[in-house]
Amino acid sequence: MAGLPRRILKETQRLMQEPVPGISAIPDDNNARYFHVVIKGPSESPYHSGLFELELFLPEEYPMSAPKVRFMTKIYHPNIDKLGRICLDILKDKWSPALQIRTVLLSIQALLSAPNPDDPLDNNVADLWKCNEQQAIETAKDWTRKYAMAKNNNIQ
Amino acid sequence: MSGQMSQESDNEYSDDHIEDDEDEYDNYYYDNNDDLDLDKPKKSDDPEYFEFDLLKVEDVERLLNEEVEALCTSLKITPSLAKMLLHAHGWQRSLIIERHQRDPEKFLVDSRIVADKKNISQDNIMGLTHTCPICVQQLSKDEFQALSCQHLFCNECWDMHFNIQINQGLTTGIECMGKDCKLLVPEDFICGILKDTSMREKYFKFSFTDLIKSHSQLRFCPGPNCSIVVQAKEPKAKRVECNMCKSTFCFRCGIDYHAPTDCDTIKKWLMKCADDSETANYISANTKDCPKCHVCIEKNGGCNHMQCSKCKSDFCWMCLGEWKTHGSEYYECSRFKENPNIANESVHVQAREALKKYLFYYERWENHAKSLTLEEQTFKNISTRIQEKVMNNEGTWIAWQYLLKAADLLKKCRYSLQYTYPYAYYLDRGGRKELFEYQQAQLEAEVENLSWKVERAEISDTGELENLMDIAEKRRLTLLKDFLEV
Repeated sequence: MAGLPRRILKETQRLMQEPVPGISAIPDDNNARYFHVVIKGPSESPYHSGLFELELFLPEEYPMSAPKVRFMTKIYHPNIDKLGRICLDILKDKWSPALQIRTVLLSIQALLSAPNPDDPLDNNVADLWKCNEQQAIETAKDWTRKYAMAKNNNIQ
Repeated sequence: MSGQMSQESDNEYSDDHIEDDEDEYDNYYYDNNDDLDLDKPKKSDDPEYFEFDLLKVEDVERLLNEEVEALCTSLKITPSLAKMLLHAHGWQRSLIIERHQRDPEKFLVDSRIVADKKNISQDNIMGLTHTCPICVQQLSKDEFQALSCQHLFCNECWDMHFNIQINQGLTTGIECMGKDCKLLVPEDFICGILKDTSMREKYFKFSFTDLIKSHSQLRFCPGPNCSIVVQAKEPKAKRVECNMCKSTFCFRCGIDYHAPTDCDTIKKWLMKCADDSETANYISANTKDCPKCHVCIEKNGGCNHMQCSKCKSDFCWMCLGEWKTHGSEYYECSRFKENPNIANESVHVQAREALKKYLFYYERWENHAKSLTLEEQTFKNISTRIQEKVMNNEGTWIAWQYLLKAADLLKKCRYSLQYTYPYAYYLDRGGRKELFEYQQAQLEAEVENLSWKVERAEISDTGELENLMDIAEKRRLTLLKDFLEV
C-alpha cells in the first residue's frame, strides 16, 4: 500500500488525542484506512445507553470521495436498513472533501437523536414511525436493549 | 415533414443526393409517395407534421458557440460564464438577459456562479505559505486557488477533485469543495487546473452532452452509435426520422414514435409490459388452432385475416371469429368488453378482470408488433415476386411499383394502429373512448384489408389497391387528428 496521505494521519491523530464525546474511532492494526467505531446512543433518544458498533472505511480517493460507513449492530431506525447501511446525504451526493471522519460520525450521532422518516431507507420502519410513532419508539428501545446492550452485559 | 441537414451538409445528405444504392432505392419510392393519388395532407392538415433539422456534431458545436458568443456580447461576460448561464437556464437567452438586467448580482448568485456575500470565506493567506484544508500540506501561497467564495485549496487537491467528478460523469455540475458551498466551477477554472490532457478531453466530451441535454430544442438521435443531433423549434412529441441511421423516434422523449399515445402514457405502458410480460408471453402463444377444423396454424404473414389452408375457412387471428363479420361496421375485435358489474365483484374477480383487460390490449399490441416484423418479410417477398412477374411478361417493372408503395403505407398504418392500444388501455370509459375504439376498429379493418390484398395483389388490382390505401391512410389521419394532442 502506498504511504498513508498526510490528511488521514492528521485526522487519526486528532481523533485519538481529542475524541468526540460519546464516539470512539480506532484504526485497525492492519489497515490504517479501516476504523472500528462505537457510538453511544444519545440520551433522550430511544437508543439511550446502547453501544452501537460501526465500521468506517476510507476509500483510495478519500477525501475526494466520502468514507464508507455501516452499522454492525442491529438498529431499528427509519434511515438505517437491515444491512446497517445509512441514508445520510453527506455520505452520498452532499459529500465535500472539506468534511472529515469526525464530522461524519457527529452527523450519524445526530441522526440517532433525530430520525427522519420522510427520507426513509427502510420503508417498513419509516411507515410505522409516521403512523404510530409511540410504537416505533418502543420497538427501537426494545432492539437497543436486545442488540446494543447484550454484549455490554456479557462483558460485565 | 421536413428533414434537411443544415446548409453546409446539404449536398451530402439531402433527399436529392444520396450516397449508396440502397438509399436511393428507398428514397425513390418514398418520394414517389408524394405524387400518389392520395390527397396528400397539407402542413396544417397533417397532424403529424413536424419541422426539424438534423445536425452533425460540428454544426451543433457551431450553433452552441454562436449562442454563447451572442450572450457574451450582450452581457459582457466570459464565454465560460455564458455557457454556465445558458446551461442553467435552458438556453433561453432573452430570459437570461432580462433577469441579468433586473439585478445582475442576485441573478449570478442565484445561478450559483458568484458567491453570496455572507458565504464568502474569511480564510486568507497571511504569510508565504498556507495549509490546504484537504491534504493538510503546507504549501507556498501560489499553489492555492479559489473561486469567488474564497474557499482556498491547493491545485493538487482541485485536480484530484475534478478527476473524480469527471470520472463519475459530472462536468457542468462540478461544485466547489468547500463545506456546504454550492458554487459551480466554471470551465476555464477546471481546464486551467486539470493536468491530464485526456481528462480535459473527457471533460469536453461529457459537458457537450450535458449542454445538449439542457437545450430544449436539441436532442441526440437515440440510434446506436449515431452522432446526429435533431433540432426543432418547438419541443413537441412528434415523429423525427434520422437520415443517418434511419431510426424513427419521438422528439420529446426520444423513444420509439408513439402517436396517438402521449409520452407519459407510453412510458407507463412499456413499464407495465416489461413487468407483466412473463404472464402475457405465456398466454399469447405463437400458434393457434383453426376454429373450424382445428388444424394447428402458424401465423406466417402480417395480415390478421387468416385462411385455413386445409378447410379454407376465413377467420380473424385475434378473436378466432369468422372474418365475414369483421368486414363492415361491425368490426369489434379491437374493443375490449368490460364486465359492467365489475364494481360489485370480489377482489380476486376484479384482479382477474384487470389482468384480462391488460392481456386483451397487450395481445393486440404485441400482435401488431409481430405483424410489422412479418410484413418486413412480405416486403422482401414482394420484390422477388415483382421480379418474377416482370420476367413472365405480366406487367412492366414500373407498373408493379405501386405494390411496394402499398406495403410501405401498410407499415405506417399498422405502426400507428399498434400504438393505439396503449392509448385505449389508459382511456377512461365514456363517449371519448367509444369514439376512439370505433375509429380504431375502422383503422384496424382497413389495415387488415390492405394487408390481405398486398400479399395477394396482381397487376390488374392497381386500382383496387390504391383505393384501399387511400381509405386506410384517411382512417389513420382521422384518428390522429382527433386524438393526437399537440
